[in-house]
Amino acid sequence: MSTRFFKSIWFMAAVVLVLMFSSCEEDEPAAALEAITVRNLNADHAPFGPNPPARVGETKKFTFFSFRTGQIVTRADSATVNWDVAFQGTSIIFNSGTSGPGNAGAQFLSGSFEEVTEAPESGYVVDNAPIRAVSSSPLPPGATPTNQWWQNSGTGQSTVVSPIAGRILVVRLAQGGFAKMEILSYYKDAPVTPNNMRDIDRHYTFRYLYQPNGGRTF
Amino acid sequence: MQQKAFIAWGAGWLLCLQGALAQAPVAVDSLVSRELAEVVITATRTEREVGLLPMPVSIISKSQIRSLGSVRLNDVLAEQAGLVIVPQVNGQGNGLQLQGFNPDYTLILIDGEPIIGRNTGSLELSRIAVGNIRQIEIVKGPSSSLYGSEALAGVVNIITERPPAGTSGQVSARYGTNQTVDLNGDIGFSNEKGGAYFFVNRFRTDGYDLSPERFGNTVSPFASTTLSGKVSYRLTPATEFAMAGRYFQENQSFQFEVFNNNDSVRTLGDGRITDWNINPTLTTRLSDRWKATARFYATGYRTRSRLDLKQLDTTDYNDFFNQTFARPEVTTEYFLNEKHMFTAGVGHIEESVETSRYGESGRKRQSTSYGFFQWEWQALPRWSIISGGRFDYNSIYGSQFSPKLSTRYEFSDRFAVKASGGIGFKAPDFRQLYLNFFNTAGGGYTVLGTEVALGRLAELEAAGQIASYLFDPALLGQLKAETSYAINAGATWQITPRLGTEVNFFHNSIDNLIETQAVAVTTANQTMFSYRNIRRAFTQGMEANLNYRLAPAWTLSAGYQLLYAKDKDVAASVRRGEIFWRDPETLTSERLRPREYFGLYNRSRHMGNVKLFYRHPGNGWEGTVRAIYRGKYGVGDLIGNIQGEVIPPSNRPGNSILDVHDDFVSGYVLVNVSMAKSLRNGFRFQVGIDNLFNHTEPVFIPNLPGRLAYITASYSFKKQTNK
Repeated sequence: MSTRFFKSIWFMAAVVLVLMFSSCEEDEPAAALEAITVRNLNADHAPFGPNPPARVGETKKFTFFSFRTGQIVTRADSATVNWDVAFQGTSIIFNSGTSGPGNAGAQFLSGSFEEVTEAPESGYVVDNAPIRAVSSSPLPPGATPTNQWWQNSGTGQSTVVSPIAGRILVVRLAQGGFAKMEILSYYKDAPVTPNNMRDIDRHYTFRYLYQPNGGRTF
Repeated sequence: MQQKAFIAWGAGWLLCLQGALAQAPVAVDSLVSRELAEVVITATRTEREVGLLPMPVSIISKSQIRSLGSVRLNDVLAEQAGLVIVPQVNGQGNGLQLQGFNPDYTLILIDGEPIIGRNTGSLELSRIAVGNIRQIEIVKGPSSSLYGSEALAGVVNIITERPPAGTSGQVSARYGTNQTVDLNGDIGFSNEKGGAYFFVNRFRTDGYDLSPERFGNTVSPFASTTLSGKVSYRLTPATEFAMAGRYFQENQSFQFEVFNNNDSVRTLGDGRITDWNINPTLTTRLSDRWKATARFYATGYRTRSRLDLKQLDTTDYNDFFNQTFARPEVTTEYFLNEKHMFTAGVGHIEESVETSRYGESGRKRQSTSYGFFQWEWQALPRWSIISGGRFDYNSIYGSQFSPKLSTRYEFSDRFAVKASGGIGFKAPDFRQLYLNFFNTAGGGYTVLGTEVALGRLAELEAAGQIASYLFDPALLGQLKAETSYAINAGATWQITPRLGTEVNFFHNSIDNLIETQAVAVTTANQTMFSYRNIRRAFTQGMEANLNYRLAPAWTLSAGYQLLYAKDKDVAASVRRGEIFWRDPETLTSERLRPREYFGLYNRSRHMGNVKLFYRHPGNGWEGTVRAIYRGKYGVGDLIGNIQGEVIPPSNRPGNSILDVHDDFVSGYVLVNVSMAKSLRNGFRFQVGIDNLFNHTEPVFIPNLPGRLAYITASYSFKKQTNK
């Protein structure tokens, strides 16, 4: 009775050990996903002229970015599927629909960046100008956000572009796959309390997490 | 909801009335005025001993006002627990915050009649000189059941002097910092047939400049004159006729800087404010038990300002605002017996406003008819109940019923509990109905009152000038009155003959708050705004007062208010976890916890004061040391102060609400001291310093001047006429 009992204990211990080692091997690559912060992406900055909001030297051209490579994509590739998202002023476009040849789409989730652990299966909006997945206009005061990413925190006549906290963009990429991103600042070097007289605007700081295995979990 | 309240109220009345009529009538004359106990009139519209009232009422007496050395109403009120004089930007009136309500929601009366002239919602309290005030009565909690619109947070009633028997008079002169001169004179006469009282005040100041590096002044120089008087004459032993009147004029010359697209524009100009009122009253005693009063009150308020904007190719900016208010009213009081007393009244109000800001449409009018009823019932020797209600019918916003029920139970001579509940309301004001104002500042925007919005939008639409709608204009609809459901409950406890305390808990639940609503954007990219009943909010908290007689000549008093004032919808979104804040270090979003939502702007959670009074009746010396504390608060929704400085909002970017992670205006303490000596020959001398430690906040608190020293000399006489 007692020998059989000990034998079975030993057997169970061995099984547990084997399972533990094998599961460790499987877990390792999944734990490597890390959020990357892109700082000061220039989205057509130009200083104000004598009659704001007109700007001197504004090109009205977008800056393109690929989550897959983590790099800015040259403007020559704007008609390809090599980019996912592009920025100009407060306009943000995704590579699909009226904005590009890709299969991209985007939607907002409410939460902190860490809380978004899975990309939804559906619900991605495709740019269909002038209505785009992400609006370039501010959230009207007191309104509930729909597709706005910023609100005006300036006093009186001034405009300060402030990304609304807790708005996480989940992006379906141009060539498939998913990423989540959070816009952190619209001003160069991401000042805590931006001042539109002093700080240089149209400089995006955002963090994103790209799932390279094509799955929806982050 | 309101209908139900009305029916319940009516049913209650019928039952109670039956009980009342069963009582055997006993003749009693409550009209004999009590000379010794402190008596207030505001809480019930009849003279009542303040200690016996079932609602929170406080009194500031003439002798207290004199000890403080204050000369304008705002200075006196600023030292009371739970009251804040809230600075309004662009110099448009520094109003009174009471139980966390904005200045628009407290009714200000002189001898029971409303002061008008709320150009931008709040009433500039420095319009009121204090030299002729006998006492100030403050009723907290809604009092619309007696006073109608605006008495949502409470009522401040300024009771003016009535002449004592004989002939009396006083002159006084005060000189202080900023070349501030205040001159007062009054004279009174009275005998058994009647009396007369006249008062004159002249006030002038150079104003002050808290930001010398900028052009112009924080407060520009101004001068004002107040004339007031009343005469009374006893026509028959039972009938008295009285006539009261007041005239006020203030002239100010402006010098300030505004910013237009970040360019400084120096602005020069002048302005004049005039207000007047006239108030004949006929009071008659119909029998031992009946008293009836007929009164007529007419008042007018007008402002004119002319601003010359230098460096701009615009013409001078001329602005005017004329308001009139007329009200006949008949009230009656009936004393059934020692246990039941009834008060009832009916009245009609005609109001009009004409201003440059209502476009070409000329003078706007509205009228209100109302009736009110109140029953004071001494149910048991220790238990009293006051119930009442008022019905208002307005030509624009419709009808409004405001009931109120208050009760007090006395456990002993030293300990009593009281509670009151009621509904208060504030009618949409002329501005919210008729404004048609295009502001060129800030690239231009237009604000349209709800009565003119649809017409104006249709005109623009027809002219092809509307680029897009932000809100369906069809949903704008008619504005409803803002309403508050309030409960006040507390206790008074005279712990020892020398130590008394008082505590009151309050909760106000406010619905239909009117806010601006962006409606459309024009092709010139200018936003059109109108008004809607949008927000819901609550204010709640506790007020405690303590009074301790340290020694025969020494009194220590302390007051404290705890306040929570929050937007209900925001609080609900925070509870649902829909609001986030951005960590300034990591820039990442964090979910805001319910405890972290601070509440509405401009409300301090903690406020208090400690005051020490010395008054020696023998040697004529008196003195005061007062410390007034206001806890931290947030600012927002402000354009800029008078000197064009941009006021940084407390709210940090990330969300649009005030939470504990934002920047606050720090709490502060003001210390005021004064000292006076009265001589036997009628002379009195006083010196004092307000804001002893020279606390200023040029950007956030433009209405707080630095240290102010003053010296006052006065002479008074009183002659008893020989029969």
